[in-house]
Amino acid sequence: MTKAYILDNNILIINRDLTQLDIFVRDFLKVLKKYSTYLLVSGYVSICTGRTRATEDIDLLVPLLDKTTFVTLFRELEKNLFWCYQTNNPEEAYKYLLKKINIRFARINEIFPNIEFIPVTKEKRLQFFELNHPQEIQIKGFHFKISPLEFEILYKEIVLGSEKDKADAKHLRVMFSDILKSEKFKEYEQLIRSEHQ
Amino acid sequence: MKNLTSLEFVEFYSEKIKEDNTLFKQQKMLIESQMKSSSSFFLNKLGKKNFKENARKYLREMGLI
Repeated sequence: MTKAYILDNNILIINRDLTQLDIFVRDFLKVLKKYSTYLLVSGYVSICTGRTRATEDIDLLVPLLDKTTFVTLFRELEKNLFWCYQTNNPEEAYKYLLKKINIRFARINEIFPNIEFIPVTKEKRLQFFELNHPQEIQIKGFHFKISPLEFEILYKEIVLGSEKDKADAKHLRVMFSDILKSEKFKEYEQLIRSEHQ
Repeated sequence: MKNLTSLEFVEFYSEKIKEDNTLFKQQKMLIESQMKSSSSFFLNKLGKKNFKENARKYLREMGLI
């Protein structure tokens, strides 16, 4: 039997084949990475590490880009057969981001799964923190960034708290019990509770 | 045999998959089956010709945009 993962130079390497969901995410990130940093958070973190459940959206934190960069990104996403739920007009889409409203992208002729594109600024302290403390992960040559595992677990347990979130957190606690660090739990719990009293 | 709660099942399954990566095959099948069903359902419902327009109308009705 082969273990599900190893930690190599602080990169989490998951021993499995890519799913169509991973390929959807990979294709989106291939375009995004040319223009911006990013962080995958929430349900996909649990799913890409083995939680067996369905999902409709992939939550993606992206720093608020300048307008020109965003418009170029938007047009390239369209060329790569993604469409935006809200509008075909990149300048209009940018107005949503300025208002801190998430926008969504799916593959052409599909609704789900979709990328929930979440603009992050310094004012969103927790998301800004996550974005700047990524955990690197690799699955069959697909290299990407997710939130720190301890942060993800605590956020799901303390802030979100639905049955689905508790189950996702349980999966991460069990799956990564060998590598989770108590000092990180302490640090992140203080941070999260300071924002969510 | 004790019936597992959903959270106990998650714990049980995560312990198994952690030690045996062949279980990822089941996960892949479930995820891809869901994606395929969703894709066929919405393509049939909304049609290929005006998919975006129809999809936006549907998403507005559902309160998703």
